Amino acid sequence: MMNDNVVSFFSEAPPYQALNEKLTYLLNFDTRGMMAFVVYFVAAFVVVNVMALIGGLGTYAERKISADIQMRQGPNRVGPFGLLQFLADGVKMIMKEDILPKAADKYLFFIAPILCMVGVFATLAVLPFSSGFTLTHLNIGVFYVLGVSSLVGVGIFLGGYSSNSKWSMLGGMRGASQIISYEVPVTLSIIAMVMLGGGLNFQTIVDGQGGLPHQWFIFHNPFTIISFVVFFIGMLAETNRAPFDLPEAESELVSGYHTEFTGMRFAFFALAEYVEVFVVCGVAAALYLGGYQVPFGLSSLEFLHTKVGLPMAPARMIGQFLEIGGFVTKTVLLYYVVIWIRWTLPRLRVDQLMTLCWKYLTPIALFNLVGIAVWIYLFNGESMWNLVFKTGAAAAGHH
Amino acid sequence: MFDNFLFLSSAALTVCGALAVVLAPNLMHACTYLLTTLIGVSGLYVTLSADFLAATQLVVYVGGVVILMLFAIMLTGGNDNKSVNKFGIEKVAPMGNAKTFTLAGFSALIMALVILKIIANVNKATPKTELPPYETTVEKIGELLITDHVLAFEISSVLLLGALIGAALIARPRRREE
Amino acid sequence: MPAYNLDVYMPVVILMVIAIVMVVGALLVGKLLRPHNPSELKEQAYECGEDPVGTAWSNFNVRFYVVSLIFIIFDVEGALMFPVAAIFKKFNGIAQGGLVLASLLLFIGVLVSGIVYCWKKGDLDWVKSFTLESYHHDRDQAQAERKTA
Repeated sequence: MMNDNVVSFFSEAPPYQALNEKLTYLLNFDTRGMMAFVVYFVAAFVVVNVMALIGGLGTYAERKISADIQMRQGPNRVGPFGLLQFLADGVKMIMKEDILPKAADKYLFFIAPILCMVGVFATLAVLPFSSGFTLTHLNIGVFYVLGVSSLVGVGIFLGGYSSNSKWSMLGGMRGASQIISYEVPVTLSIIAMVMLGGGLNFQTIVDGQGGLPHQWFIFHNPFTIISFVVFFIGMLAETNRAPFDLPEAESELVSGYHTEFTGMRFAFFALAEYVEVFVVCGVAAALYLGGYQVPFGLSSLEFLHTKVGLPMAPARMIGQFLEIGGFVTKTVLLYYVVIWIRWTLPRLRVDQLMTLCWKYLTPIALFNLVGIAVWIYLFNGESMWNLVFKTGAAAAGHH
Repeated sequence: MFDNFLFLSSAALTVCGALAVVLAPNLMHACTYLLTTLIGVSGLYVTLSADFLAATQLVVYVGGVVILMLFAIMLTGGNDNKSVNKFGIEKVAPMGNAKTFTLAGFSALIMALVILKIIANVNKATPKTELPPYETTVEKIGELLITDHVLAFEISSVLLLGALIGAALIARPRRREE
Repeated sequence: MPAYNLDVYMPVVILMVIAIVMVVGALLVGKLLRPHNPSELKEQAYECGEDPVGTAWSNFNVRFYVVSLIFIIFDVEGALMFPVAAIFKKFNGIAQGGLVLASLLLFIGVLVSGIVYCWKKGDLDWVKSFTLESYHHDRDQAQAERKTA
């Protein structure tokens, strides 16, 4: 079904409809829009809070995993295993003095973190957590993500510019040019996936895949595996993660574009970065790794309601939570890989960065695009496994 | 309800942003105001049910053109916040003379007539009925691009090729021929 | 009046407003908690302990500008390819895939020829190629300029 979202999910439940009728009767106008607003608002509030939590835990995970890799302890004082470290960090950040450099551009200094946060948070609207619990399945889903996340590049540039510090300025320039350069191979990889999925809507793309790895788009044909690698590398560069963390290269630029930012202003840059990593990992999971699909249709109503015999309402909820579990598992695994890469690989030079983007990734992505298009045309969009099974079955039939 | 809100806020963003761009003395600030204008225009496209165009507006203008402008400003050494630029020309616009005032008056008149015409049509609009669920324009655009407008689609690639080569040519270090 | 129900765009607006409110709110709340004692030294731009010389807003290399120009061109190409890619599967289902594939291949082909041209001419190099010949050329030119001056 098209355009499933959190409101249409709840509006199928009888209590929601009853409440709506009651309100319409009491207030004497069509309250569906109002109800939708309330549901969207609560859902958006929950998503934002969960994301802030994930961002916080991301900083913890980063430190803990880097400690593991370097055979250290990592944070272990605040809470069990140091899990509450990010809360302590948050309290520290908010208590810090807010230093405004005298030479800075005050207005841009204020607006830069806001742009980063808006760009990242707006992408959450279409992140497909599950078939029902997504805030909204826009018909332009993937393209919309590309559009609003480009605000982050502007935010990073303005962060660097407004500080009026040489380190920041260099970091901001590098950051913006890196983000726009790597958007090219990423866009080309996404176009290939759109071709396979048959639409820009995340739901269409995810529903085109299945729960098991051989039904995922990453293993659809030989080209898609390369496409995933290109997308993943581009994604690392777009979120300024090592080995592409040139905008904040601590050994050359102190701290890059956020050198002059202290306290909460810095915290929002950091939060935006960690949430963005989660978002792009989620997009990668949705495009290539089957998104919220659960193996063997365990989350479907058909299974939970008809076969297991659960009542309608719990069956629907459990199905959604299973899907969220599937999506978050894939995303968190990718998140782990991102952190793992950061603490394993050394940083690139600027010229290597640009060479990698324009001379390797972009031609490869174009080649992949053509390859996938030809594959769809020749084999009518069937995956290589299906072809193997079919030939196997045909061969068996002949004997 | 929400469509009215979206339209009014997008329109306010667009108009206020555009005004601020014109009035801002600082080039960088003007760029950020332009950003709000572009986002507002994209919101207007959404209210017109042109979702793909709205996203294109975001991708191309917010992600590309604004950053290009920022880089172009940095190329010329950033904004130095002085009222006189490098060439000694004052940045404050002159107050104008009879000719500019006449021209401005005529253009304002034409604009006012156009707006009046549009407002007059609003009352003729169909009464509010049940709105159908949102439909995508992506598929319609895609179908048109490879059927009726396939020539435009292909020619646009040639246009972009020209732009690419032009961009590369600008950047090439020039050697003076002796 | 819009032709369709726009309610699906509500979360976008809500999330953007939440993001702005979050930043502004945290900065305002923090104002009550954090100390505020500015000093001349604190408000200097950080340059590893040195006094900053001049402003950071100086001329930057043209390369950044060119990268963003090339990026916009690719961006527009992507925007044109998205709708065609979205309907490819559908057209393939009704045996019209060849048409889409052909127009897409032609489109990508023109794009590729542009990249090949830029690559051959060395426009994709971040560090412009530095040959002995170009070195001699630049040196001779500099000498000639010095003589005339």
